[in-house]
Amino acid sequence: MGDGLTERNVVIANRVGLHARPAAEFVKLASRFDVDIKLTKEDLTIDGKSIMGVMMLAAECGSTLLIAVDGPDEAEALEALSAFLETDIEEGTGLA
Amino acid sequence: MDRLTVQQLIERLGEKLALEISTAPPPTGPDVVTSDVFRPGLLLAGFEQGFNADAIQVLGQPELAYLESLEELAKAEALARLCVPSVPCVIVTDGGPAPKELIATANASGTAVYVTPMAASTLGRRLAAGLDNLLAPQATLHGTLVDVYGVGLLFTGKSGIGKSECGLDLVEHGHRLVADDVVHVTRAPQGHLIGSGNDLLRHYMEIRGVGIIDVQAMFGIRAIRKQKRIEVEVKLVSWSDLEDYERLGFEENRIEILGVGIPLVTLPLVSGKNITVISEVIALNHLLKLHGVHAAREFDSRLRGLTSRVPESADLDRGDTE
Repeated sequence: MGDGLTERNVVIANRVGLHARPAAEFVKLASRFDVDIKLTKEDLTIDGKSIMGVMMLAAECGSTLLIAVDGPDEAEALEALSAFLETDIEEGTGLA
Repeated sequence: MDRLTVQQLIERLGEKLALEISTAPPPTGPDVVTSDVFRPGLLLAGFEQGFNADAIQVLGQPELAYLESLEELAKAEALARLCVPSVPCVIVTDGGPAPKELIATANASGTAVYVTPMAASTLGRRLAAGLDNLLAPQATLHGTLVDVYGVGLLFTGKSGIGKSECGLDLVEHGHRLVADDVVHVTRAPQGHLIGSGNDLLRHYMEIRGVGIIDVQAMFGIRAIRKQKRIEVEVKLVSWSDLEDYERLGFEENRIEILGVGIPLVTLPLVSGKNITVISEVIALNHLLKLHGVHAAREFDSRLRGLTSRVPESADLDRGDTE
C-alpha cells in the first residue's frame, strides 16, 4: 500500500499514439511490477495490465492519461510507466 | 451519467422525439438532472407550489390554449414564472407553434425551446423513458461477460488469471460472449444491471500466447451478444490466494455493483479443473434457485429428517398394535 505518491498525469509522446504495439509494450512493462494499475482517459478507467483495455483508450499523441498505481512496487512502477508513455518510441523507426 | 447537457439530450433523443429547435440552448445553460417531465399548467395559472423547476417543461394543447386566453400582461407574468434559470428546456407539443411571447421570454431568459409534432402524452412517456436510460448510473468493470444458458455471468479476477480463456471455452461450448476485458455496466431503471461491450473492442479478445482474435469472425453470430443482464459475478482466484470458499452453498455471498446486489461465487482455480462445466453449473444452479429449487437446503432438510429421528423405544413390541 502506498505512501501517497500513487498517481500522475502523463502526456502521450508517441507520435502515432498508443496503438497496438506500444500498448502491448506498456502492458508487458506493467506486468513486471507487483501493483494494481489503473489508467484513465477522460471518463474511461481501465486496468493497466490489460492489453485490450489499454488499446481501448485509443490514446492519441498529446492526450493526457492519469496513471494510478497501488501496491508494493508503486513508486518504481509509476516512474517506469510514466517514462514509457512520455517517450516517443516511434523515433527512428521511419514512422511519421 | 448523472447529468447531461441540453445539447447532449438533443443529439441522443432529438430525432426520436422529432424536436425542432425554436430558441437555442445557451452554451452554459442548466443541465438535465432528472428524468421527470413537468406539465406546468398550474404554474402558468399562478399556483407555484409543487413546481418542478429542474424538470423539462412540456406545453401541450391545454397549456397553449390557456396562454392564448390570457391578456398580454398576465401572459408575460405566466411565462416569466415558467422561464426560470433552472429549467433545462421547454418543449411545445402537438406541432405548436410556440407562442411568440414564449420565444421572446425564453430568448431573454436563455431558456431553450423546442417544438415537436407529437402529442404531449406520447412525448412525455418517450422523453421520460429516454431520460431514464441516459441518466442511468454507469461504470466500467474489468472482466468478461458471458451469457451462459441465458444467465449473465460476469467473470472477474486479476489480470492473467484466465477470464478470457474461460470466456473462450464457454463460447466453444455454445454460449455467447457479451464483452471481454472491459465491461460497461448500466443500472437499468428497473433496478438491474445491464452489461455491454465497447464499440472499439467489440468481440475482439486477447488470448495469451496467441494474440488478438475476432470471436465473431471465428465462431459466427451465435457466439456473440450485444448486451446482457448481469446476474451472477464469478470471481476467479488462484488457489493460494484463497481465504475461505463455499462448501455447502447455504450462504449466498453477494456483491454490490452500482448499488445493485447480485450473487457472488468465488472460484478457486487449480490446473485440471474444468471451469467451463463449473460455470455452466453456476448458471443452471442460479436458474434452479429462481425456480425455487435450492439443492443445499433440500439436501439438508433430508439430512435433518434422519438426524432428528426420535430413537424408538426398545421394549415396545412392534407387532403389538391395537
